[in-house]
Amino acid sequence: MIDFSLNEDLELIVDTIRSFSNERILPKIRVFESERRVDDDVCKEFAMASFDRLELPESLGGSGLGMLARVLVNEEMGAVDPGAALALDRLGPAFYVLDAFGGLKALSQFARPILETEGKRAVLVLESDSTFDVEHGRVSGAVPWIPSSRADLVVILSDTGARVVEHGSSLQPLRGSGLRAAGASSLRLEHAPVIAQWQDARKAAQALAKARLYAASLLLGVLRHSSEFSRNYAMNREAFGRPIAHHQGLAFLIVDMYTAVESVRLLVHDAALKIDRGEDGTQESAAAFVEAVEASRFIGPNGVQILGGHGFMQDYPVEKAMRESRALGLWMGGIDRARDDASKFLE
Amino acid sequence: MDFEISKELRKEIDETREWGERQVRPAGLEADRNGAPLPVDHLYFRRYLEHGGGRTRWHGAGGKSSSGSSDGVVKSVILGEETSYWDRGMTIANPGVGLPEGIVLASSTEEQKQRFLGPFLEPDRPRWASFALTEPSGGSDTANFKTRARRDGKHWVLSGAKCFIGNASRADWILVQANADPDKGRAGQRAFFVEQGTPGLGGFKIEKKMGLKAYESTSFTLEECRIPENNLLGEGDRASEKPEQSDKNVKGYKSTMGTLNASRPGVAASAIGIARAALDESISFARANDLMKQIRVRDRLELFQRKLRAAWLMVLKSAWLADEGKPNIVEASMGKVYAAEIAQDIATLAMELLGVVGARGDHLIEKLYRDVKALNIVEGTGQIQRVIMGRQLVGLPR
Ligand SMILES: Cc1cc2nc3c(=O)[nH]c(=O)nc-3n(C[C@H](O)[C@H](O)[C@H](O)COP(=O)(O)OP(=O)(O)OC[C@H]3O[C@@H](n4cnc5c(N)ncnc54)[C@H](O)[C@@H]3O)c2cc1C
Repeated sequence: MIDFSLNEDLELIVDTIRSFSNERILPKIRVFESERRVDDDVCKEFAMASFDRLELPESLGGSGLGMLARVLVNEEMGAVDPGAALALDRLGPAFYVLDAFGGLKALSQFARPILETEGKRAVLVLESDSTFDVEHGRVSGAVPWIPSSRADLVVILSDTGARVVEHGSSLQPLRGSGLRAAGASSLRLEHAPVIAQWQDARKAAQALAKARLYAASLLLGVLRHSSEFSRNYAMNREAFGRPIAHHQGLAFLIVDMYTAVESVRLLVHDAALKIDRGEDGTQESAAAFVEAVEASRFIGPNGVQILGGHGFMQDYPVEKAMRESRALGLWMGGIDRARDDASKFLE
Repeated sequence: MDFEISKELRKEIDETREWGERQVRPAGLEADRNGAPLPVDHLYFRRYLEHGGGRTRWHGAGGKSSSGSSDGVVKSVILGEETSYWDRGMTIANPGVGLPEGIVLASSTEEQKQRFLGPFLEPDRPRWASFALTEPSGGSDTANFKTRARRDGKHWVLSGAKCFIGNASRADWILVQANADPDKGRAGQRAFFVEQGTPGLGGFKIEKKMGLKAYESTSFTLEECRIPENNLLGEGDRASEKPEQSDKNVKGYKSTMGTLNASRPGVAASAIGIARAALDESISFARANDLMKQIRVRDRLELFQRKLRAAWLMVLKSAWLADEGKPNIVEASMGKVYAAEIAQDIATLAMELLGVVGARGDHLIEKLYRDVKALNIVEGTGQIQRVIMGRQLVGLPR
């Protein structure tokens, strides 16, 4: 049955995370960005509300929620600061790989310790973004960028399987283009011992589908924010004797940005619903990611454009949204790989 | 939240598909080849009646009358999309009350329903009705129509011209939008039932169109066209009152525009139907010509599939909001412009996929490419949809 409404539980989750993001993150986004970290007390509060274990099964002390809840939460957090969202969600999309391949056992062995120690972070890297060699159960290689300043657990996902590494990694801080509140580093692995590994192409695809949707939903939030912020600005800023939004050239642009955000949202929800129904969702989540990235090319720069010179200045958040959206679109394998998967229906 | 179509509705879609494939597609292709609308006595129209079509949603005097689609907007949009997949032009060519039905159900008197919808309850032959807004001097600026209605005793006298009006020359009656009080601007607008054969209604010219050839788009004139006073939509006993004194008539302009708001998801859905046909044809063509491995071909098809899904969900959402009785102005306009433009993109890129085969003029995709363009023009152009959204989103002044 066609139904676009949210049930009460999900509405409550959305309200809660929205208030949290607006009250605890929004006032400090520029501070978090320049410090490349989120305040400890904000992290603690996030964990207290169990938002750091949203999808972790209840038997492991998590909230056991599904993909729809995840994308709703990510949209809200992405709308405030996607970098902070990554910093706070310390398992991040690495969770999906552990869950897909190792189930409860891997989650309690690898995910729980991350959550139990303050500040620890798990990172997911895609083999396609990096160069790795594996010899005698040890892996070496380099990842040019991860949106993190720590990597207490490195989960490497390939097309056919996954590996987990705990020791033997080193990080070089980077300036980072966007998502700076999460930190930015290059990652090196030198003969890092592989502590778990699995082979299963289908599971790899499932994990990647969820990871992409994770990224797409953060991106959705960023796009919403840029579009809404610039819309409000345009209603208050005047030029030639009227609000700039009342010049049709801008009004139509704003309307089209609004529409682009909605198209991303619908595809993100579509994929999340499929996954929660137990369907594969590879194609749908890849499509949602592609749509989000394409929309970001349109919305990111135009959000800045609507503010004119002010948009270019860091006093306003639209330049940040332009950078964040670009960075998110490069993450989790980027758009080209996603497009390959989104065209799987042609096989 | 749930985007799945129910089992029962799936069954109805299957039936619509079967009818579409066997009857609708061939009839539409025939009209396109002939470059002319299907004639009134075409066998297809008889079959359509026998199939149960061509009837009014009105339940007859005493029956409950619904102003919306009785089964809900979501359902009608889903079935409409399926029919359009087989031929959009035929969905308009089909006998029945068509476009004016919503406004007549919402605004007419019981007597008018009996008189004008009655013959569509169990039609003895294919019957059509028609809705005339657009004028040669402009269709978007709906407040500025030039057709005038003048009171003369127990009659109204209409003068003006209308253009591109669906099914006008074959309609039993045409609901004509005219201004009864030009000083009042759009508030002076009223809708009038003008019956076929009324002296002064004439000059019918069936336009030659780029696409959607299956139905007639007709221009005509009203020259001192005298109609009974009770042919004013919504006007019964109070016909002698001045129009602005009647509650119903004060809504004349609004109720017309309200009808167009309500029909928007349907128009959007028909764009989706056309685009889905273009996608399926593209996939068949790519398979048959061993193009599936080419990355540019795959990229195009991926884009079709993705955009089509987003557009479809947008349209479904606007329909769902209507069924829930929630405001959907932004969503309905958004769905219409997005679907129409995406559908045009898809048909255009599908032509590129065909290469020179597309230039032959005999491939279905080539027809879809011509057909689909109208969807971003009819019932409010893409620009007008953006204006409507702009009013809601940024307070764009009129
Ligand atoms: C196949 C077909 C079937 C049709 N069937 C019917 C029918 O059954 N009944 C009926 O009444 N009409 C019908 N029409 C007419 C249709 O509704 C009009 O063509 C449409 O509303 C546009 O009006 P117009 O052609 O006069 O264009 P105009 O109003 O002259 O517009 C010309 C251009 O200017 C743009 N424009 C206008 N105003 C603005 C603005 N404020 N801001 C920005 N841009 C603007 C328009 O978007 C358009 O691009 C049909 C048309 C077609 C093609």
